[in-house]
Amino acid sequence: MWSELRALRDGIDLGTPPRDGEPVTLSVDGIPVTVAAGSSVLLAAGIAGCTVPKLCASDTLEAFGSCRVCLVEIEGRRGYPASCTTPVDEGMQVRTTSDMLAKLRRGVIELYLSDFPEGDIDGGWSQLNTTLDQVGVHRLADDHPYRSGANHQGGVLDMSNPYFVFDQAKCIVCSRCVRACEEIQGTFALTIDGRGFGSTVVAGQNESFLESDCVSCGACVQACPSDALIEKSLFPGGYERADSSQA
Amino acid sequence: MPIPVKPDQSTITTCAYCGVGCGFKAETSGGQIVRMTPWKEGKANHGHSCVKGRFAFDYYRHPDRVRSPMIRVSIEDPWREVSWDEAFAHAAGELKRIQETYGSGSVGAVSSSRCTNEEIYLMQKFARVGLRNNNIDNCSRICHSPTQFGLSATLGAGAASQHFDSILRSDVILVVGANPTEGHPVFGSMMKRSVRRGANLLVIDPRRTETVDSPHCRASVHLALRPGTNVLVLDSIAHVVVTERLYDEAFVRARCDWDDFELWMSQVGDARYSPDVVGPEAGLEPDDIRELARRYAAGPNSTIYYGLGVTEHSQGSTGVMCLGNLAMACGMIGREGVGVNPLRGQGNVQGGSCLGSWPHMFTGYRFVTDAATRAVFENEWKIDLDGEPGLRLPNMFDAAVAGSFKGLYIQGEDPVQSDPNRHHVEAALRNMECVIVQDLYETETTKFAHVLLPGSSSLEKNGTFTNAERRVSMVRKIVEPVAGLEDWEITVGMINAMGYELKYDHPSEVLDEIARTSPAYSGMSFELIERVGSVQWPCNTAAPEGTEVLHTVTFPRGKGSFMLTEYVPTKERVDDRFPLLLTTGRILSQYNAGTQTRRTANNAWYDDDVLDISADDAAQRGLRNGDRVRVASRYGETELSITVSGRVHPGVVYTTFHFAHTMVNAVTSDLNDWATNCPEYKVTAVEVTKVTKVGKVTKVTS
Repeated sequence: MWSELRALRDGIDLGTPPRDGEPVTLSVDGIPVTVAAGSSVLLAAGIAGCTVPKLCASDTLEAFGSCRVCLVEIEGRRGYPASCTTPVDEGMQVRTTSDMLAKLRRGVIELYLSDFPEGDIDGGWSQLNTTLDQVGVHRLADDHPYRSGANHQGGVLDMSNPYFVFDQAKCIVCSRCVRACEEIQGTFALTIDGRGFGSTVVAGQNESFLESDCVSCGACVQACPSDALIEKSLFPGGYERADSSQA
Repeated sequence: MPIPVKPDQSTITTCAYCGVGCGFKAETSGGQIVRMTPWKEGKANHGHSCVKGRFAFDYYRHPDRVRSPMIRVSIEDPWREVSWDEAFAHAAGELKRIQETYGSGSVGAVSSSRCTNEEIYLMQKFARVGLRNNNIDNCSRICHSPTQFGLSATLGAGAASQHFDSILRSDVILVVGANPTEGHPVFGSMMKRSVRRGANLLVIDPRRTETVDSPHCRASVHLALRPGTNVLVLDSIAHVVVTERLYDEAFVRARCDWDDFELWMSQVGDARYSPDVVGPEAGLEPDDIRELARRYAAGPNSTIYYGLGVTEHSQGSTGVMCLGNLAMACGMIGREGVGVNPLRGQGNVQGGSCLGSWPHMFTGYRFVTDAATRAVFENEWKIDLDGEPGLRLPNMFDAAVAGSFKGLYIQGEDPVQSDPNRHHVEAALRNMECVIVQDLYETETTKFAHVLLPGSSSLEKNGTFTNAERRVSMVRKIVEPVAGLEDWEITVGMINAMGYELKYDHPSEVLDEIARTSPAYSGMSFELIERVGSVQWPCNTAAPEGTEVLHTVTFPRGKGSFMLTEYVPTKERVDDRFPLLLTTGRILSQYNAGTQTRRTANNAWYDDDVLDISADDAAQRGLRNGDRVRVASRYGETELSITVSGRVHPGVVYTTFHFAHTMVNAVTSDLNDWATNCPEYKVTAVEVTKVTKVGKVTKVTS
């Protein structure tokens, strides 16, 4: 019970909560690693020193499996499971890099980039930036077919909270904010409204953050990987939305 | 381009607000704090935060900060800026002059729970070696002094028995007179997490707080008792435990004094505490009392968390004893998931209690009357010490009104706004010849000051805080103090000016001195805290890295002692003139007297104190949401706007006390706890009437 709280380390994100349990030994990219039963393959990979890119996963939140960036290959299994939602098994053999994985991750990241303000990438230092570095894609080619797709770049910019903004243009709808509000803070003020491409993060009954039940604890800001929720204090000249998009 | 500023430095420190004591990373860019982020390795918060610690830090650079020492001869005079040396010399000169004229006991000091352990320790040292008396008190006098008294009497240690995480191992959580989701939000989140995992929540509180009912967290029993009936209801719960034989006889026989237990059983077992008798008096269904008692006793692991709703009563100490008795009787103490835990208001109230800022006790709750303890400090300080206990803060004010107490050094406190009976405090301060206030801002109290020493915020100094789970954590200097000195350096300056020569190069040397003289802190050092992150006392050779759970084998006093807890109703009664009971509390976005949070954007959520009133009481008085009302008690009156609220029962009204101009302490009663003088802020009979025209905001009647 204590590991999920006490095995957390500053500056390290294991991807899924550490567990207490019987030791399970597996190999990741040929490196043997022993973790507690109930741990995810993503966590085991991190312990083994293998960097698996991720966006929706955090070791302070239960695994969710929505971003599809942490895909791996597992010997004897079909497909490319998300390592965050795949529990470890004794003797499991995991590969975190391959040409196919690189291609799949690039494809996923290109989809995210197609709906992210282009001017917010260079110089950024969010987890999204780290993930882009890991996957090796930072912008869509000028003639990339995704550039002609739909996007949310004209979406909500909620500046109502005195301390942080919610900029839908930078939201990748990974639900980390929603889950942080539920699992960490316990206020249940945020939700995902709509379905599919129309899914958006909303506060309360589709209210502004200030008018909603949000208690401004900051758990959602802490959880956000793409700076869609970010402190106003980091913008001394005031927050302005980037006008350029990939579209 | 909206690229966020990237902080160039990050320093781990401890939040200055409530008693949870969250670990934070203060991130700076070019020497300015650009954000505070919760520290994942903080053992009190595990990476979580609330709106105050996470965002409300701008107070430290507010234009209102006092930036230079100032003095004046009369409180009618304008302030004159002076050097530190001149301020120290003037203040000490005045105190010495007063002592020569009116006697050694005519001056005193009070320490602040917003200051560090080292600074609190130095304040009591100031009184004992500088003033050469024991006139030193601390602000827990008005919040948790009954905890120190009541838990010491029953268990032997006036502190939380558990660590916060322990609540995840609880099957039953009993919250009494506390609203953790507002007052201690990060712990409140942990409590809710435990409830979502299946723990059973029981609440005793006059109000239907958010703790009682929020998404995915609902109390199975809520005893919305009439304010002032805590002891009656807790005795009735004990009655059920005793008469239904729900107690843990094996635990009591092994760990507690059996004769005390039998005596206690005969008292609470009496028919006058039967739920059928108590229920109507406390405004409760008798079966709800039984249900709560049965659930608590059934455990298997039941824990108690309580707040000022227990302590700030004329029977505050008795209420705390009731909780200690109940936990012992049911065997709910001494392991993870159980225990008795005060939720402390300020970041360092536990330190305020531990570090000897008491008129009758040295560090570690050892009496000044005890020659052996005095010898420890006489040897350390090379000075003879007074063995006569000094004055409590309210007694200092009484003596000042009477004319025998003339000088006070106040560290980071605003008694005019926060202590009971405002007009009495004002009269006392007005009667003094030298009031020295060390604070971040000018406050209600500095209006009566002759010397103003610019204090340093907790972002501007090094030291340690002790949180509500006895955890000692590091406070680190992020930015330079506005007037050049950290609070501990100011007090050292005052001690030297009084003629006692003293030098520390760093507050770690003060903690070393505390460790040398105080058994519970004997293993404590900055080096240890740096190494392991934070340390819960006791920390000594038996527990070199501290102690998470207290009372596992024995109680500090040996056998646990059942204290008798006869219910004595408060003298504060409703009548035809004052038919409503006013109770007080805090809200999430503001913090205590509001000096810090009112100077931040937190006002977006709450920019004034409001009065919660039931729909029935509002309708009877022709009141609507938002109306301005006059709230009058036997002691004084003020004006507030109302919110018609389902959170309070008919007959009860509620307000917060965060704003100076509302002067809630002009209305609250001047009754106090029989044992510790802790004011009865939770029960005042009032009447509420509509104000038609805006008049004088507040009037104090005598």
